[in-house]
Amino acid sequence: MKNKDSKFANIMKTDGMQSLISSLICIVLGLFLGYIVLLFINPTGAFKAITDVMKNFFYYKGSTIRLKYFGNTLVKTAPLLMCALSILFSYKVGLFNIGCSGQYTAGACTALYAALKWNWGWFPCLVLAIAMGALAGTLVGVLKSYCNVNEVISGIMLNWIILYGTNTILTNVKELASPYTLLVKKYSPQSILPSLGLGKLFSNNQYVTIAVPLSILIAVAVMIVLNKTKFGYELKATGFNKNAAKYCGMKEKRNMILSLLISGALAGLGAAFFYLTGYEQWECTTSTVPGMGFNGIAATFLGGLNPIGTIFSSFFIQHITIGGANVDKTMYCSQISDLISALIIYLCGFVLFLKTFMKNVIRKREVKRTGKYENFKQDGR
Amino acid sequence: MLLLIQYMLIFASILILVALGGCFSEHSGVINLGLEGIMVIGSLGGALAMKYLPLTIPAVPYVLLVILCAIVFGVAYSSLLGVASINFKADQTIVGTALNMLGTAGATVAVKAINTAANPNDVSSIIQYINPKKKFLINMGGFEFNWFMLITLIVLVVAYVVLYKTRFGLRLMACGEHPQAADSVGINVYKYRWAGVLISGAYGGLGGICYILAGVSEWRFEYGAAGFGFLALAVMIFGQWKPHRIALAGLLFGFFRALSNVYFGFPFLVKLNIPGNIYNMMPYIISLIVLALTSSRSRAPKAEGIPYDNGQR
Amino acid sequence: MAEQYAIEMLNITKRFPGIIANDNITLQLRRGEIHALLGENGAGKSTLMSVLFGLYQPEEGEIKKDGKVVQIRDPNDANDLGIGMVHQHFKLVECFTVLDNIIMGVEPTKAGFLQKKEARQKVLALSEKYGLKVDPDALVEDITVGMQQRTEILKMLYRENEILIFDEPTAVLTPQEITELMQIMRNLKAEGKSILFISHKLAEIMAVADRCSVLRKGKYIGTVDTDKTSIEELSAMMVGRNVNFHVEKKPAEPGDVILEVDGMTVASKVHKNNAVKNVSLKVHAGEIVCIAGIDGNGQSEFVYGLSGLEPLVSGRILFKGEDVTKASIRQKSVMGFSHIPEDRHKHGLVLDYSLEDNLVLQTYFQPEYTNKFGFLRRDNIRKKADELIEKFDVRSGQGAVTSARSMSGGNQQKAIVARELDKDPELLIAVQPTRGLDVGAIEFIHKQIVAQRDAGKAVLLVSLELDEVLDVSDRILVMYEGEIVGQFDPKKTTQEELGLYMAGAKRMEVQA
Repeated sequence: MKNKDSKFANIMKTDGMQSLISSLICIVLGLFLGYIVLLFINPTGAFKAITDVMKNFFYYKGSTIRLKYFGNTLVKTAPLLMCALSILFSYKVGLFNIGCSGQYTAGACTALYAALKWNWGWFPCLVLAIAMGALAGTLVGVLKSYCNVNEVISGIMLNWIILYGTNTILTNVKELASPYTLLVKKYSPQSILPSLGLGKLFSNNQYVTIAVPLSILIAVAVMIVLNKTKFGYELKATGFNKNAAKYCGMKEKRNMILSLLISGALAGLGAAFFYLTGYEQWECTTSTVPGMGFNGIAATFLGGLNPIGTIFSSFFIQHITIGGANVDKTMYCSQISDLISALIIYLCGFVLFLKTFMKNVIRKREVKRTGKYENFKQDGR
Repeated sequence: MLLLIQYMLIFASILILVALGGCFSEHSGVINLGLEGIMVIGSLGGALAMKYLPLTIPAVPYVLLVILCAIVFGVAYSSLLGVASINFKADQTIVGTALNMLGTAGATVAVKAINTAANPNDVSSIIQYINPKKKFLINMGGFEFNWFMLITLIVLVVAYVVLYKTRFGLRLMACGEHPQAADSVGINVYKYRWAGVLISGAYGGLGGICYILAGVSEWRFEYGAAGFGFLALAVMIFGQWKPHRIALAGLLFGFFRALSNVYFGFPFLVKLNIPGNIYNMMPYIISLIVLALTSSRSRAPKAEGIPYDNGQR
Repeated sequence: MAEQYAIEMLNITKRFPGIIANDNITLQLRRGEIHALLGENGAGKSTLMSVLFGLYQPEEGEIKKDGKVVQIRDPNDANDLGIGMVHQHFKLVECFTVLDNIIMGVEPTKAGFLQKKEARQKVLALSEKYGLKVDPDALVEDITVGMQQRTEILKMLYRENEILIFDEPTAVLTPQEITELMQIMRNLKAEGKSILFISHKLAEIMAVADRCSVLRKGKYIGTVDTDKTSIEELSAMMVGRNVNFHVEKKPAEPGDVILEVDGMTVASKVHKNNAVKNVSLKVHAGEIVCIAGIDGNGQSEFVYGLSGLEPLVSGRILFKGEDVTKASIRQKSVMGFSHIPEDRHKHGLVLDYSLEDNLVLQTYFQPEYTNKFGFLRRDNIRKKADELIEKFDVRSGQGAVTSARSMSGGNQQKAIVARELDKDPELLIAVQPTRGLDVGAIEFIHKQIVAQRDAGKAVLLVSLELDEVLDVSDRILVMYEGEIVGQFDPKKTTQEELGLYMAGAKRMEVQA
């Protein structure tokens, strides 16, 4: 009995476990608050609405159609995961890349333009999107390290600049009668990402492409880079303590710029992963920056700042976002999902507090159990 | 030309109001990146007031009621930032970002719910205020004077006096510069930080209602505040956290923002044949350049962004 | 009737998880006396003062003011009881004026508006009365440390505090300023104020205090009248045994010049002048050169310039005859520079990293720890970490994987020393390597430094502690206001002589 107890305590002591519990608390609370909002709007259908949001593709009857909609969720998860990884990567160096949306937009712009104007194959389109995203990210990094511009503000400014730029550029490849860009599938089929038969697994969902497995591979790669390599060691050291990183000779400015470059590249790639499936067209008159980058923030923090965690959190965020479309429109609106995502990010702000709280509880139990203090010595400064 | 000045003044008003909000919050030591969201919620409060208040109320009390409503909404909403960042020592960047997203999403959900409840076929997030808007304007020979211009001027002077001439201002700034010092002389740092955040909520809400009244007669809440909250932060940094300099910075940025609304009124600008989107980009590009040039020697309040913990004295 | 005390702290006990910071401590301050509180770092002085100011609530014991039991729940209660304190790290808002800082918290106002005129008159009157020269309109960031301290004292007087606490007030002052401060303290005493003077400097206590209470490792040792005791007795009370302050070492055998600095000038981050002015010096293999000086005379900046953390305005650095002025921090480190930094939390450690990751902070990029594909060789890192932990006796909860943050200060410092010495440097730069450590750890680190010298390495030691300077070094350079103003043989000089140079009262030409 005692043994079991301490085993449980040991698992609870790990940081990963505490992150998982904190994230679950955020999700439950976020959904609960969302439910309360629904109750306020209209109490009769609130429970059904919140379950519809959570059900997403289970909302439909029949496994074929469910599988198809499951595929759709995956299609949209891939770019979100890339955005989440993008934010995570720069956050490890202590930078908050809110400009992810803009880098994503830059990727979308170039991928679509290369596909529709120049009829490039999918691979060069992908590379160009990565390059543009990286360029946008680098700009933020340079402004931060050489001009001391707060990366959040410069990121937001760039988001808008890139948005208007993209609208201007993509107007050249839009449909005559609508503000939407031409269909990639129709005008440049070679630019569509290959499916390699993956679509067949999802009831012939043509949008399921190599983007889905690739994004997961990239998440794994990001984890390896951060935890197993010299580069990751330097990045995290810079993020934790800039002064110490400088003291031991790490090139702190270069690392900042490099991490934002990679961050931007990931976001740009995410956009290519989405727009080169043909799932959606770009609306050239849009006056809002794509939400993908902002939802990425939710996924990053909900994933406990762990690349593998973000795979699941990205899926969850996308799951409820698409699920939001299923709510009864005569009573509610689909933005209820955005609201829940935003609530979850807000709640993620409390994660640090939750973790400290958990650590204190464990510490107290430990002290009670062993009667020893030694392992928890105060910082003797 | 008159139109340009009119737009410049109204956009400058928005930026100055919101930047002053950021100024109060940062002087108390809390970075308020959620101003954008606060603007949206403030504008929601004001828009709802315009929707429901009878038009029979005379202009002055009507305007004041609408403003009051926006302020109340802004203050209430900013308390979310206060709780998280002051009491729970949350990361101010994350919370601010969450507030921005929550603001737009929340306002959209609310307005759609209201619209749909009134008419099941109406799933838009639009509130119209064609007639109420007229109460805010006085036409002076082609120049549309907007009450907000006067309000901004008053509020600007008040902000300056409060910060530099009163006990409150002295203590507030001490909390943002050196909270331990403030605490050691018996100043309640938490209280003053809360005050800073709530004041920024009031200013943000005021700026929000001003923002949606600036150009159009209806507002679609999905649009949020188009980065104006962040432009205001750029104005604040450019203004070096000082009200009088914020005013000048606000006018400069207001000018560039106004250009995109009225450039077609200037033949030589039209002749240049620059796409409208370029004018739209202008304020953001200018702010990036200005930030790049000024940030390296800017002097932000020293303790901003650092949660205060009186256990670590 | 019993003796009248201004303030009494009776049988105070305060525990933290892991330590008993104050164990049944009694401190009685008479009216109109200067009472010293003596103890080493970590003896519990700060905790006791935090209890007095209501920052901590003691588990046991009570506080009496004028013989009556009082409750002190927060600093405001302490203020109301007329207790004021000059903190070791001044609590001044740098971008405010002196006047604003003094009135902050008790501002005279009319309807919320500040009434600075009357405040200024009161401050000027006080400043006159006690000989506390200040400029009320100067910004704190522009004035000297001495004036900042006078501002702090005026803060207490402005509040009409009766009980004044000085927490290590001389650490940042020049000897002249110290003399001035002592006079001010005597003036205050003459005006009937009661003063508590916290220090670990025995000579100052003997000079100014009437009585002295001693704490050691959280325990109350005793209270003595200073005119009935000696420095030796106080010292023994403070450390508990007659510590052999002297470090055993053989005479130095200086070899070739390892480090040569030629005309180094470094800008200051605090004021507009240069922090280091045209400094030239040489360090030979097999000798310990020590830079002595009062804190803030350019020593830190000199080391920053030397290591590359700050750019040089002018000057050259030669390492074994090679010009390394433009070399990066990393290049110097690889060539054989080791640097035990002044601030272990700011520069020395990544606190959120594990102990093992911190132990390879200077070497992680070497082929031993990173393979040619850029992957870390975790097995080798662990092996090295375990080796260093064993060799340097670094104690931590879970060995190599312990988070550096959870370790005690002494063990953190040992980890840094282990890392820097294991590099087998040609030149060791050690800045206050024993700051805040207990006696055992200090001895250990001193031995390590001497061992480096005996192995033929060049050592540059920067220290504020004159005992350390005299005991460890082979040659002493005194730095004053960014310049080298004296060079001494530790065997032929005294603390008093060094003090004159450190204070800028005397100077000599020094050839590098």
